[in-house]
Amino acid sequence: MLSGLIRGKVALFIKIALIALSTAVLLTLSQSAFAKGEYVIAGFLFIVILLVNYTYFSKRTVPLKFFLPGIILLTAFVLTPILYTLVMSTYNYKTGNYISKEEALGRIQALALEQDEDATAFDIVVGEYQSSPAILVSDINNNAYFISTPEQRVPLDKARVEIDEYQVAQSAEGFTALDSGEISSSDAAKKRYFFDGTYFIVVENLNVGAVFRQSLEYLPEQDVFRSLITGDIYRDNNNGNYVNENNKDDFLEPGWRDPSWFTNYIRLFNDERVRDPLISVFIWTVVFATLTVITQFAFGLLLALALNKPIRGRRFYRSILVLPYAMPSVMSILIWGGMFNTEFGAINEILGRDIAWFQDPTFARVAVILVNLWLGFPYFYLVSSGSLQAIPSELLEAAAIDGANPRQIFRKVTLPLLLQILSPLLIASFAFNFNNFNLIYLLTGGGPRNQLDGEIAGATDILISYTYQIAFGNNLQDLGLASAISVLIFFLVASISLYGVRKSKVLESFS
Amino acid sequence: MTRWLKENLWRHITGVVMCLFALFPLYLVVLSSFNESGSLQVTSFIPKDISFANYKVLFNDERIPYLTWMKNSLMISGFVAIASVIIGAASAFAFSRLRFKGKRFGIQLLLLIQMFPAILALSALYVIMERVYKFAPGLGIGTQMGLVLVYLGGAMGVNIWLLKGFVDSIPAELDEAAKIDGASAMQTYWQIFVPLAAPVLAVVSLLSFIGTFNEFILARLFLIEVETRTVAVGLQQFIGGQFSENWGPFAAGSIIASIPIVIIFLSLQKYIVSGLTAGSVKG
Repeated sequence: MLSGLIRGKVALFIKIALIALSTAVLLTLSQSAFAKGEYVIAGFLFIVILLVNYTYFSKRTVPLKFFLPGIILLTAFVLTPILYTLVMSTYNYKTGNYISKEEALGRIQALALEQDEDATAFDIVVGEYQSSPAILVSDINNNAYFISTPEQRVPLDKARVEIDEYQVAQSAEGFTALDSGEISSSDAAKKRYFFDGTYFIVVENLNVGAVFRQSLEYLPEQDVFRSLITGDIYRDNNNGNYVNENNKDDFLEPGWRDPSWFTNYIRLFNDERVRDPLISVFIWTVVFATLTVITQFAFGLLLALALNKPIRGRRFYRSILVLPYAMPSVMSILIWGGMFNTEFGAINEILGRDIAWFQDPTFARVAVILVNLWLGFPYFYLVSSGSLQAIPSELLEAAAIDGANPRQIFRKVTLPLLLQILSPLLIASFAFNFNNFNLIYLLTGGGPRNQLDGEIAGATDILISYTYQIAFGNNLQDLGLASAISVLIFFLVASISLYGVRKSKVLESFS
Repeated sequence: MTRWLKENLWRHITGVVMCLFALFPLYLVVLSSFNESGSLQVTSFIPKDISFANYKVLFNDERIPYLTWMKNSLMISGFVAIASVIIGAASAFAFSRLRFKGKRFGIQLLLLIQMFPAILALSALYVIMERVYKFAPGLGIGTQMGLVLVYLGGAMGVNIWLLKGFVDSIPAELDEAAKIDGASAMQTYWQIFVPLAAPVLAVVSLLSFIGTFNEFILARLFLIEVETRTVAVGLQQFIGGQFSENWGPFAAGSIIASIPIVIIFLSLQKYIVSGLTAGSVKG
């Protein structure tokens, strides 16, 4: 009784300590998220804090006590990314349109610089003047020296400036030079220093400043940019860019991610540069997954049938046959990649040929299927031999008594039964291979593809690796379009899987 | 004798041919790992002299922090294996045994979620973790901690689903009896369920370990610094197209990395096969 009491006390203490610790950690995170303007994440973390404290201090929330940690993880790292994928798919979200509109406004203004006609540049020293960032400028051509801060320009008498042998001012009264470390830790090099009102001096590197003027002006009331040079107006085109009213191809960089509703989805069907590769990739995906399941199952079943009798050495065979399945697949795929190497690979050596396996679409596809067969046949061998044992022997005996020969028994009794038992597994395997990213990415990288033509889809690319290329490839990274394809794949795979689930439910109700 | 031939010969031929197919790449990789020149080229299928040069490179060459990679892989997979099962088992228990509003909806949502391959949300995960990095550089993109959190989230769906299937199979009479004796849900969980489920929890946890060890793409996306990489990402980047130059050390590295996984797998084989068959519902 007493020990129980003590244990209860200790448990309570641990519980409170854990809750306090997680609250403290989450609160710190939430605060810094808020400080950096990530309000959604800050809000999410705050809700988590409330939930944790309520759940574990209240007596009414028994089920929640059990699955709150699981739910939080699922929400944060699975549900939210899924929903975020949905949101991203309705945005124009790609290289050049990656940041928010506020950030883009700032960048456009910072980038809108035009150098004066003579490309004037001065020797400068970066430092401080009257506790403001400043530069000490030597205008050697005019034999003039001045200090410039962002607000004003202070002319200096040459006599009061220390100059070196190149006539460059090194120091002046009231001016403190900063060393390069101090400059990089301050924003002194990023400031615009006063020149003559229109023009200003920009620090090009630590010793050189150049004269620029602002070439664009932002008019917040109308949300447009006006060119200070030509007078052209750049208007928000509702697709993440400011575009010149007079010239559609002239737009300002960078753009921002902008809601584009169903544009990405419409592109999947209407834009032939998106649609045509998508269709061919989709066809290959289905062919790949189907051929994979068929070959893996056929070889697995053949083995299961062959080793279904207690022949000598069966255990030995079995222990070797599971090895491909037991190996970490990432390693196996990389090993196969080396074996298909054109010059030195073992496969060409055995065949005595110089086949460029991954440069030719057909050979690359054959290689992909072959490697996947190696990776997957042991699984189907294992499950088929399990299922063979589950088929009641009376059935087979009955068929034999009725005069069926072994081949007939197999075709009319064993195979149909087996297919029925294994159909959920076959469907699951199809769904898995439909998204077998590792195999494609690690073996062929989706290739061969004609990169010179800017082709994104390769001959062995399946939908998921194609999507990856679109989102993270070397060309334009289009997260919006990639998300739209992801959503499409999700519906495809979910319907395949649900079909599999229903199949197995039907099966369960029989047994 | 002829009868034996007729009955069994094809069985042995099939067995031998498929065994050769299964062993072929593995044998080659072992062969080249012990080959001094470490060349991809197979000069002979019978090893002439055995050299450990490639293994030495693996442990001494500064270009390949192999031990660090291996340690990273084991730590990340180990942590995910343990934590995901602790968290997942509690949820599975609640889904299977406790009554609450929205349970049906919750189970259906879970079924749907765990069908969703994490890789489909890759761009979203990347963008989200990029944002997290802005305010918490220890958790966002580029960190092992962030990767572990993402793995944990991803493991939840499958683990809860697998474990729920197991909890369902424990006779309800057991915990009803406990309830009659006055046990709370917590007590039932700790004193009835956990001891009963311990072997299954261990199996699911080891499966998680294998799965995480084998995960490639998230690790590739998250772990940018060479020192933080897992062994899968590290070796892939190391071999990165230069098959002829780096093949020997790669072969040695992939063998060492595979050994723990193969051992775990073979010792769990029975559970994995039945688990995969039973878990086929999960798609």
